[in-house]
Amino acid sequence: MSVMPMKRVMICALKKDRKAVLELLQRQGVVQVENPQCDAADPVFIQTDKSAEAAMFRKYAQSAGEALAVLNHAAPQKKGLLSSLEGRRRLSVEEFDGLVLKRDEILTNCRAILSLDRERIENEASAPKISSQIIALEPWLNYDLPLNCKGTKTTAVMTGTLPNEWQLDAILAKLNELAPDAGDVHVEIISTSQIQTCIFTVCEQKDAADVADAMRRMGFIKAPETDVNPAEETKRLKESLEKLRKRNASLNEKLCGFADRRSEIEFLVDYFSMRAEKYEVLGTLPQSPRTFVLEGFIPAVQADDLKELLEARFDISVELADPQPGDDVPVLLKNNAFSRPVETVVESYSMPGPGEIDPSSLVAIFYYVLFGIMLSDAAYGLIMTILCGLLVRKYKNMEPGTKGLLELFFYCGISTTVFGLLFGSFFGDSVNIIATTFFNRPDIAQPALWMAPLNNPMKMLTFCFAIGILHLFVGLGAKFYMLWKDHKYLDAIYDVVFWYMLVGGCIVVLLTVPMFTNMLTIKNTLPAPVGKVAGIIAGIGAVGIILTGGRDSRNWVKRILKGLYAVYGISGYLSDILSYSRLLALGLATGVIATVFNKMGSMIGGNFFGAIVFLVVFLIGHALNMAINILGSYVHTNRLTFVEFFGKFYSGGGRKFQPFAVHTKYYKIKEEMKS
Amino acid sequence: MNLGIVFALAGATLSALTSGIGSARGVGIAGQAAAGVCTDDPEKFSKVLILQLLPGTQGIYGLLIGFITMTQIGVMGGSSDISFIKGLLYLAACLPVIFVEPLSAIQQAKASIASIGLVAKRPDQFGKAMIFPAMVETYAILALLVSILAVFGVSALSL
Repeated sequence: MSVMPMKRVMICALKKDRKAVLELLQRQGVVQVENPQCDAADPVFIQTDKSAEAAMFRKYAQSAGEALAVLNHAAPQKKGLLSSLEGRRRLSVEEFDGLVLKRDEILTNCRAILSLDRERIENEASAPKISSQIIALEPWLNYDLPLNCKGTKTTAVMTGTLPNEWQLDAILAKLNELAPDAGDVHVEIISTSQIQTCIFTVCEQKDAADVADAMRRMGFIKAPETDVNPAEETKRLKESLEKLRKRNASLNEKLCGFADRRSEIEFLVDYFSMRAEKYEVLGTLPQSPRTFVLEGFIPAVQADDLKELLEARFDISVELADPQPGDDVPVLLKNNAFSRPVETVVESYSMPGPGEIDPSSLVAIFYYVLFGIMLSDAAYGLIMTILCGLLVRKYKNMEPGTKGLLELFFYCGISTTVFGLLFGSFFGDSVNIIATTFFNRPDIAQPALWMAPLNNPMKMLTFCFAIGILHLFVGLGAKFYMLWKDHKYLDAIYDVVFWYMLVGGCIVVLLTVPMFTNMLTIKNTLPAPVGKVAGIIAGIGAVGIILTGGRDSRNWVKRILKGLYAVYGISGYLSDILSYSRLLALGLATGVIATVFNKMGSMIGGNFFGAIVFLVVFLIGHALNMAINILGSYVHTNRLTFVEFFGKFYSGGGRKFQPFAVHTKYYKIKEEMKS
Repeated sequence: MNLGIVFALAGATLSALTSGIGSARGVGIAGQAAAGVCTDDPEKFSKVLILQLLPGTQGIYGLLIGFITMTQIGVMGGSSDISFIKGLLYLAACLPVIFVEPLSAIQQAKASIASIGLVAKRPDQFGKAMIFPAMVETYAILALLVSILAVFGVSALSL
């Protein structure tokens, strides 16, 4: 229910125990290491730069990760839909040590995998090149000389293509026209198509330049060069293509052969990430020739245990102290099972800053209620509750983040069910639609235990505003508590009590106005004297705010002006309260869209075919509606929490406690240590 | 001939029509940004998907008003005898949704795209990234609320 108290820990130990101490601390994962920068002139303690080593280990971890990706691509692992919920596998210290001894072998395997993959990629890249060569040779298949044949001592041979379709006579005529001085030229057409004509030309060497020039002007392009004739070259190319294909198949097979090494490679990723983190910490340690020092923060409850553990095992000095005021102490939240799930919500806003309370338990109650009002369908709530409950029970080893989210939706589901029953919604109006369509009993309907929002929108709106006012006032109350706790009694009165008086007074005054209560469908208008009293209270509040709102200014004129501006903040309260109308809007959205789908499904009628259509529309429609409205409710519950609620008292700005620990992806090293 | 039902139905269908267009465009442009992020890091799919979907709710609000109006004016069954003035009033009741939803969907999509960029660079800031587009949605919700109350209010009138 609170921010965990922290202790400062300072460890001084012998350098020979450095590795063991660090590894123990890493496995315990309770200390956030924060060593101050050593003074460069310090004659005894220096920090050694270990960033090169750390970077090297990160690189190893990365190449192991790449090898793993290659392996997963070549030999995909069969994974269930919910395998991501299983969490990291456990590894005993013995297994861990065994695998550490094999690390070089595993790393060699990783490199082998990567080089096999590189070759595979190169082969894959060269295959299309060969294919295009084969295609380029296709028009030349009838030609029986090597394509790079230049002729003989006295004759010149030119093979190539002319654009468009040419007849033999036309080519000869054109050549004659463009090179009138040349002697006999022999031209043969190898193949023609609409876009090109492949020709073979022979002329005397002395005319070669003239003929070549003429042909160039006709758009002649040389044929691709081959040492053998095109048919043979094509055969050769096809063979090498086949060879590449076979080679890749065998490469793939070799890659698949590593599939049973997958878990080892996963270990290697974890191992090197761990070592990298250790070296990053090591680089910050002030070290003398024989000793080293480590400073950091530790949750107070674990401090004594760690001290005992360390002192029993090493010649070591462990000093614990309370943090000094002004220390930037990292924040760790601790809550009971009911409010723990919203810790992630609080964290995604900001951790509590110095002097602030952990708002989780306050957030939790309203979070579940607001979510429930927005989704407000008993069936959707039941599905969420049962699904999340089962998953959390089944997968005990789940990662804390995933578990938190599922638990959040578990509680939200319960609240959704409750509000769904209160508002009489079970898959929208499905009970009534099914009874009417298939059993001809339009009198059967899901009763609303309280009211159906669609029939009483104003009443529902009033309820939403009431919830909003309560939410805001609780937020203000939290501010009062924090100020009071800090012995800022006057501030508590100025900033909270006056606002309670002003806002609360105004609300009560409004409740005495019949026009207003009629609009909000509140049956009992408060009697006028109550309004008078409330008005006076609101007035006192307003005057109080005018006098104190600008109390940081000495100048009284300035102070009153600032105070007047502060009173203007009442408009902020108005918009905050109106913002809770989204509870009604989103609640109606769920119900109405569910109704739309029910109606669509029942349009065919009550026969057998109609039942099938109804079932299909029902399943798809409600799955869609549920997904989109859970998303909407989640987003807007967060918004109401962050903007309206936190706006009243919580600004955050704390640092999250991030201990030096085993941060792995695939394995969890068991906590018990060998002694 | 009584034109009341014509105006009333025009209000209902225009609500769904303009909101649908706005949301389609909003979700579309946000989807392009989301797909771009996924080319680099497919693991962020679920996060950017949520951000992409945020401008989609306006289309649903339009559907909601369209549907409520249609049930109130008897197009979905019942009597569709609406007076001329009442038909115009239904159309007026739909106006906030007709105009605010499509514009807010597109503006929200722009905020969503910016938030998708934020998540791409700092995935841990997802909670905050979600709030920026959600701010825009407030106005879509307020328009929806006024339309809901107005439609119910009009149907209670005897004109």
